[in-house]
Order: sequence, then structure tokens, then C-alpha cells
Amino acid sequence: MTLGSAHDAGAERLLSPDSSVRRHFEELADNLLSLGERPLSVVVTGPEPGAGCSSVCLGVSGALAATGRRAAVVDCNLRNPGLHRMLGEPNFLGLTTSLGGNRALEHYGFEAVPGVFAVPTGPVPADPDAPLRSERFVEAVRGLGEGRDLVLLDAPAAGRMLDTPTLSGGFDGVLLVVHATQTSKNTAREVTEDLLDAGVNLLGVVLNGFTNGTS
Amino acid sequence: MASTNRRGWQRGRGEDPILPEVLYVLWERRLLVVGAVLALVFVAAVFGLRPDRLYTAEASVSVTPQEGVGTGEDPEAFVEEVLAGVTARDFLRDVMREAGWTEGPEEFRERFDVERHQDSDGASGLRVRFSGSSAEEASRSANAYAEVFVDRVQRLNDRRLAGGSLAADARVEKYASPESGANYHLLLLAVAAMVAGVIVGGTAALLLESRTRSWRDARDAELTLRAPVLGVIPDYSSEEG
Repeated sequence: MTLGSAHDAGAERLLSPDSSVRRHFEELADNLLSLGERPLSVVVTGPEPGAGCSSVCLGVSGALAATGRRAAVVDCNLRNPGLHRMLGEPNFLGLTTSLGGNRALEHYGFEAVPGVFAVPTGPVPADPDAPLRSERFVEAVRGLGEGRDLVLLDAPAAGRMLDTPTLSGGFDGVLLVVHATQTSKNTAREVTEDLLDAGVNLLGVVLNGFTNGTS
Repeated sequence: MASTNRRGWQRGRGEDPILPEVLYVLWERRLLVVGAVLALVFVAAVFGLRPDRLYTAEASVSVTPQEGVGTGEDPEAFVEEVLAGVTARDFLRDVMREAGWTEGPEEFRERFDVERHQDSDGASGLRVRFSGSSAEEASRSANAYAEVFVDRVQRLNDRRLAGGSLAADARVEKYASPESGANYHLLLLAVAAMVAGVIVGGTAALLLESRTRSWRDARDAELTLRAPVLGVIPDYSSEEG
């Protein structure tokens, strides 16, 4: 896929080298990579749907790709798949087809832009959380990390993510995305406490959608 | 895949004080807090300076039996006896004259509150409180009562020499002061209003802050969530399309 075929103008902006927000994603990517050895696998979640986790995943991976590094984004939001839509791609193949067969995730995704590998959810089964509960899921993501600096897992909202032990504890850490005009402080505080109480390795927080006039 | 260790900030998080967050919220919503303080101070000022407000002043008089007379008696009973003897005839009229009171005697009487007291060292006496429409009037009346009382006790002592039965020493221990009482009262009222204003404004600020969906900046997020902010992504929706 090329940027020109992207259906979502937001995704185009996130992956474009000329984007005005690029330097902010570069800073976030550098901060993330400074937290551990590569390849790093990070689960990206929010206190509630709509915080902008998919955007953050694409923006960070786009910023990394622009500096010659490689990243992958895996859509783990099986109840509400969105990554393929943002990138203007079908969802016939993806994470679930890989986990259902014997082939690596590498075969079920596509290059959104050079250096950014995207894996959509694939067809959603009757029990959407079942594929994510398997150890095979963790191994598949680890396999995807080979030869890459960062693997970002676009996860469901924190409450549902905590119900999936492989997501909450199977990877290097969790990044919490808070929307600067949509997430209430109370909710964000409660979710942060819930994550820490559950023993999640919370790497930090991203304040998304920030405007100077937010307050 | 490499594994990151649990971050140091998580280990020390439980010990982090909440005070910085509270102070930050109060500072960021200082207009609300200051507004609440000013509003309550204004209300207190209106209440404290209203024309019909009463000022209370207090004077105290010590009453002790003269040597060899009534020393075995209960001190409070003795004071009661002296008080009954002294205030028997036209006492209030003399106090009214001394205080310069021009209105009716009933109202004058109602504004007095006289109580017996006994100190820890055994000394007993009277506490005289008067509620007046000004601090000066209150103190003048309380002092007039104390002075007329002492004067009357002296007169009774003189009568004893001529065959009376009461013998007591009485002196004004503390005169009521007009300035300090009034100012002190107003100052207390102002301080109480300020404290109440900070509490009301601060509570409102914290309540609003917990419900708001507006995040000011990275520091706001760090203090609210007590977690490191790894990035701030500006809103780019207006640039889309």
C-alpha cells in the first residue's frame, strides 16, 4: 500500500514525513526505545475507546520509519477493528488467520509505508478474545519483532485489556493514551490505578489531541 | 523479545505525596479559590459591620472577705451574698447614670450578663458582660457596672463600721477595652472567612478538576496520574483533509 491509497486522511498525516506532528511522535518513539532493549513490544491502550491508540501506534511507527528504523503495528482490537480502515486496506487476513494457521504474522500484514509493517485483526471469531488468550499469540508477536526495533500492539480499552492476561502481562510494557479533551481525569486516574494494581508494567502516558487552549 | 524492568517511578509511587497535586490544582484554579475567599470575606464584612450588630465587652471584679470576717464561708456563696447586698437598691440606676445610658432600664438590664467565678487559686468575683450597639458603649457600661459595684461594696463596709454585717474587699481586676475587643472580633471573623473560603473554593476546584476532560499540559498529566508522560501529541484534526 502507498500513502496515496490511504483512505483515512489522518493516517496519511501520521505517516507523512512532512506531518506537523512528526517531531512529537519522534520524541515519543525515542522515549519509548530508551526504556528497554530492542526489539521492544509495547501494548498501547486507553482508559476508554476513542483515546487515539491507533493514531499513536501509526504515528510512532511512522516516526521510527522516517529515521531508518523498522516498526510493526498489530491490531489487537478484535471487538472493534480499526487499523485496516485507517490504512484503507481490507481485513480478510490478519492476526486471527495467522494464529489459526501455522504461518508467521509476517505473512498476514502489509507495509503501510517503508519501515512500517501493519497487521490487521483479520476475521473476527465468535469469541473475539479467544485468539488473544493463547500463548501462540505472544510467540507470534515476538516473531514479528525480529529485525524490528519496536512492535506496537493496538489494544482495546484498558478494562478489556486487563481481562486478557497475554496483553496485560505478556509483553514488555503498556503505554496509556489519554485524550486531552475527551478523557476525564477521574477515569484516567482510576485506570492508572487499576493497571498498577494488576501488576502491569506501565511504561508511561501519552497525552493525545492536546491543544494550547485545552484548559 | 527484550523485557523492560519495572520502572523506578512505579516502585516509589506509593510514597509520593498527594500534596503537590492538590497545590497544583489550587494554583491552576486560583481564580475560583480567590473568588470564594473574597465572597466569604465580603459576607463576613457585611455581617461584622452591620449597624444592628452587638458588641460585647467584659470587665471583672474580685470580691474577697475582709480578714476575720466570713473566711470560713463558701467563696461563691459569699460573692452571692455581697452581690445581693450591693444590687438591692437603685444599683442599676446608678450604673445607667455612670454609663451615660439614656434609654429604658429594662433594655439596659437585659444587656447585662453577670456571673460568679472562682479562680484556681481560690479567688472569687464577678464577670460582667455588656452587649452594646458599639464597642465603646459595651465597654463603658461593663466598666460602669464594675466601678459602681466596687463603690457600693466600699459603702457597705463603711456601714458595717456603723453596725452593718457585710465586710468585703472588692476591686476592678480588668476593665473592658473597646478597641481590642472589636478589632479582635473582626479579625477573627475575617480569618474564619478566609479559611472557609479556601476550604470551599479548594473543594470546588478539586471537584471540578476530577470531572474535567481538559488536560492542561504534560505536568498536569504527570501530577494527576503520578506517572511519567512520554509524549504529548498535539491535536492535528484541523489540519486534516
